[in-house]
Formats: sequence, C-alpha cells, structure tokens
Amino acid sequence: MPLFRHPRFLLPLLACACAAAAAAEPPRRIVSLNLCSDQLLLELVAPERIASLTWLSRTDGEPALRVLAARLPSNRGSAEEVLAARPDLVLAGRYTTSTTRALLRRVGIPMLEIDAVQDWEGIRRVTREVAAAVGEVARGEALIAQMDAQLATTATLRVSTPVRAIGWSGAAEDVPGRDTLFDTILTTAGAVNIAAQPVGGSGFDLERVLRQRPRLLLRGTAHDGDRAVRSWAANHHVLQALPGLSVLEYSEGAWACGVPRAAAHALELARALRALPEPAQ
Amino acid sequence: MKSITGLNAKLALLLVVLALLSLLPGRAGWLLPWNLQGNDAELARLIFWELRIPRLLLALLVGAALGLAGAVLQGLTRNPLAEPGLLGVSSGAAFGAVLAIYTGLGAAFALAIPLLGFTGALLGTMLTLALGAGGGVLSLILAGAAVSGLLLAGTALVLNLAPNPYAAYEISHWMMGSLADRGWAQLFLAAPFVFAGIGVLFTTGRALDALSLGEQQAASLGVDLARLRRQVVVGTALAVGGATAVTGTIGFIGLLAPHLVRAAVGHEPRRVLWPAALAGALLLLAADVATRLLPLAQELKLGVLTGLIGSPFFLWLVWRMKARSP
Repeated sequence: MPLFRHPRFLLPLLACACAAAAAAEPPRRIVSLNLCSDQLLLELVAPERIASLTWLSRTDGEPALRVLAARLPSNRGSAEEVLAARPDLVLAGRYTTSTTRALLRRVGIPMLEIDAVQDWEGIRRVTREVAAAVGEVARGEALIAQMDAQLATTATLRVSTPVRAIGWSGAAEDVPGRDTLFDTILTTAGAVNIAAQPVGGSGFDLERVLRQRPRLLLRGTAHDGDRAVRSWAANHHVLQALPGLSVLEYSEGAWACGVPRAAAHALELARALRALPEPAQ
Repeated sequence: MKSITGLNAKLALLLVVLALLSLLPGRAGWLLPWNLQGNDAELARLIFWELRIPRLLLALLVGAALGLAGAVLQGLTRNPLAEPGLLGVSSGAAFGAVLAIYTGLGAAFALAIPLLGFTGALLGTMLTLALGAGGGVLSLILAGAAVSGLLLAGTALVLNLAPNPYAAYEISHWMMGSLADRGWAQLFLAAPFVFAGIGVLFTTGRALDALSLGEQQAASLGVDLARLRRQVVVGTALAVGGATAVTGTIGFIGLLAPHLVRAAVGHEPRRVLWPAALAGALLLLAADVATRLLPLAQELKLGVLTGLIGSPFFLWLVWRMKARSP
C-alpha cells in the first residue's frame, strides 16, 4: 500500500529496470507499420526478430527484399493485429495508422515513430535511430558506410551536364516534385528533375511533360501496374514516337523510402544516365 | 422537316468550328500551328496527332453516343428524366470495365474492357427497366438510382480489392470520367462498339414515334414493342458501354442534349435523334475544352463539369413536372 501512495518512489526503480532490460535484451518481436521502416528492419535485424511487416513490402517494397518479406508475417496496420502479435517494439511512420499509434501509446507498447526523410543526411540520422532502438548499432553503421561508398562512386560517375528528367507514371497527381527522395536521387545521379523546377502551367498531363522536353522519363512501376487506367497514359504511343526521349522504369515503392539502399538506386541511375543515347543536335 | 435539316446543319457547323478551336488549347498552353518551326515542329506534330486529335474524336464519339442514348431512352420510357447516367447504364458499364482492367483480363486481352463494359451496361439497363417499368415516371428514376448505387458499390469494391496500391485513387476516374491523356489505342478500342450502338439506336426512330402515342396505339400500328425494347437496350449498352469503358462515367449529357434541341424540333422522338447526338457531341467537347482552359492545379474531371451544369437542370425538370401534375 505505501508503494501505491507514493508512486514517485517507484518510478525511478521502474525506469532503471526498463533501461537495464533494454540494454541487456534487444527487442525480439518487432512489428513495423510502415513500408520504409519495413525496409530498414529487414536490413538491420535477423528475420526471426521480426513479428510482422506491412503487406506492401511483399509486392511494392524494395525489389531485392520482397522475397524475404514474403516469408514473414504481414500486417495491414490495424491495432488489433499489432496487439495480437505481442510486440516488444513497434516501428511506425509519423503520418499513417494514427488510430493504431494512439492505442499503442495508451497501452504502453514501446514505439518508435520514424520521420519520412528525403535526403542523405536524414537517412543517416534515421538509420542510426532505428539501429539503436533494435540494438544493432554496428550493423547500422555498416549500412551507412556502404551507402556513403556508393554515393562516392556515384559522384565519380556523374555526367557533366545534368540530364533533364521527370518521374511520370501516367497520372498528373503523383509526379514527384521538389523535397522528395526521388528528387534527391536524381540530383545525386546527375539528372535534373523537371517537376522540381518552377515551370509554367500546373499539373503534369502528358502534353505538358512532352513540352518540357525531358531526355529521360522515369516510369514508376507499382505491383500490377498495368492493371490501371494510368497505365494507358504511361504506355501512351507518343512516348515511343518522340525522338530523343528515353524511358526507364523504376520501383516507386523503393524510391520513396529514405533508407541506405536509396544510394544503390542513385548509383544505378548514374550508370543509366551515362548509357543514354546522345541527344541529336 | 426543313427546320430539322437546318438545325442539324447549324449544329454540325458549330461542332466543326468548336472541334477546330479545341485543337489549340492545352493545359500546357496554346499550340498554334503557324508559329512552330524547326525543332518544335516535330513535337507539335506529335502533340496534335497523338494527343489532341484522338482526344477530340473520342469527345465527339462519346458525346454523340450519350446524347443519342438519352434521346432514345427518353422516347422508349416516355420519361423526360431518362438518361444513361440515371438509369444505371453508365455505372454498369464502368463496373464491367473496372472488372476487366483490375483483374488483369484487360491487360491480356484489350477487347475484354469494352466487352465487359457492354455487358455491364446491358445488365444495368435491363435491371433498371425490369424494376422500374410501368410504375410511372419517378419509379423508373428510383429504380435507376438503386441500380446505379449497387453497381457503383461494385466498382468501388473491385477497386478496393485490387492489389495495385494506386487502384483506389483511380476511383475518381471511373465515377467522374475523363478524356485526359487518351490516345488512338483507346479510341480504336471503343469506336466499333459505339458505332454499332449508334447504328442500332438510329433504327428505332419510327417505332419510338409510334410509341409516343401510347403502347396500344403503337402495337396497333404494327410496332413490335418487345423487339423495340431489345433494340434500345442493346444499342444503348453498346454505345454507352463502349464509351464508358474508356472514359469513365460522364453524367447528364444524355439528359441535357435531347432537352436542348427539343424546343427547336418538337416532341416527335425520331426528329430529336440526330440533333440530340450532335448536341451531345457539342456539350461534351465544350466541357472537355473547359477542363483544359480552367487554370486549376489538377485537371478537373469531366463529370464534375457536366454534373455542375446537369444537376440543376435535372432539378428544374423535376420541379416543372411537380408543378404540372397536381
């Protein structure tokens, strides 16, 4: 009874116990509620420690990690699923699954909310944050070192004149503009994102894309992407007919995530930009 | 007879002028053929030939199909409120097309999209006519609303179940309709169905005239009513089903077009058909040009514009009917 009447005495004790437990015992049942934290988790911890990932990672996540993701349990972000998995750590994004996050906070399940980061410095910060939370600091540093090495190689490969490019997948609503990871990847690889520049008009319909005279059109592929009206526009005949325009495909899900592997996409793009046919003059 | 030819000629002339003007504006600015030289000429040629001309032809074809289908449906049901969007035809077509596209059938076999659009439109029309026939003007509209609601729910369900994360975003296209970024491929997909449907619908004129005197009078004049009903249902499903399968549902064109021309040509259904088709094409083209000229961040869906103009007109028709019947 005295203990209950004086909870303040108890608090430091509890805190000590928790901290000690955290230091000794890294989380073993981790649930991720966000496509991008899925990717980080898959790279940082052994699969046995992952209780579930979002269902998106199986089909629209980083292509190299999809097979692994498909072998693990998946969730659709509902509070019930998360509670049933009895996690000792939940990774979530800052803007989605808000009801679930509110509930988890009330129940007292440890949760780490991850920023959606759009540049390399942000990726370093978030990777360190998550690596510390899951007790894999060394692995996190290794991923960052690998990323920095890839960025250094990308810098040496970068073409001298930036290539005019745009990310267009058939819908005017989802053209990645400025302050996106897409933009960061393009800039790093030696391209200039037309949609990040102040240009006349608004909304990128196909005609406006063409009139901006891109040399490269990056067409996003989503899972089953041809099963959609936007694929009509994305596969429009005019894209093959326009001289001097190259079309490359990229995974929208992978390029949207601020994780170290984004540097691999920048490197890949830098190589592709070097291989583009010279513009006819 | 003279006045109707004159009206048709005037509408056709207006249509040609608007069609030519419609080639000039785009959302990325005006494109004038005479100030393009050198490097830009090839780009301009492609924009005209691959984007603006197929879009124009699609607008004309779909508008004519909707206007004509509205006129014929109003003739068959003897109901001034009938039109494809309100009778479950368009939502049935959208449901069929969505089913074809998001199950992957359309990617393997492109013709599946208009074929299922036609089948869905057929289903929607038959359901509405079966449920609402014989119960007066408003019971048909109520049946149409119920059938449309059901088929719209089906469309939303298919889109929500689709594995593609962007499928849910495309719901606005199917509910509101759009001609943006369509090309020859979509035009060729829809055109055979729409032309076949328009052909069937034009053959119903004489029987519709007879029907306007009443069912018994029409039967005594030798009109096979069951056959007429079949013709209208199949013709509408072909025309509207084919059109909706590539543009999404576009409401109210079929309601507005016949009413706009009726003042000039009178109430005989047959005389309304040609002018209604022309007026439908004119209305849809004008709406599409407006979506390109309005300086909004995202292109407005066609159905938003036709709904903004069409719904008040629909309410006015209902109000006028209430005022007339005690």
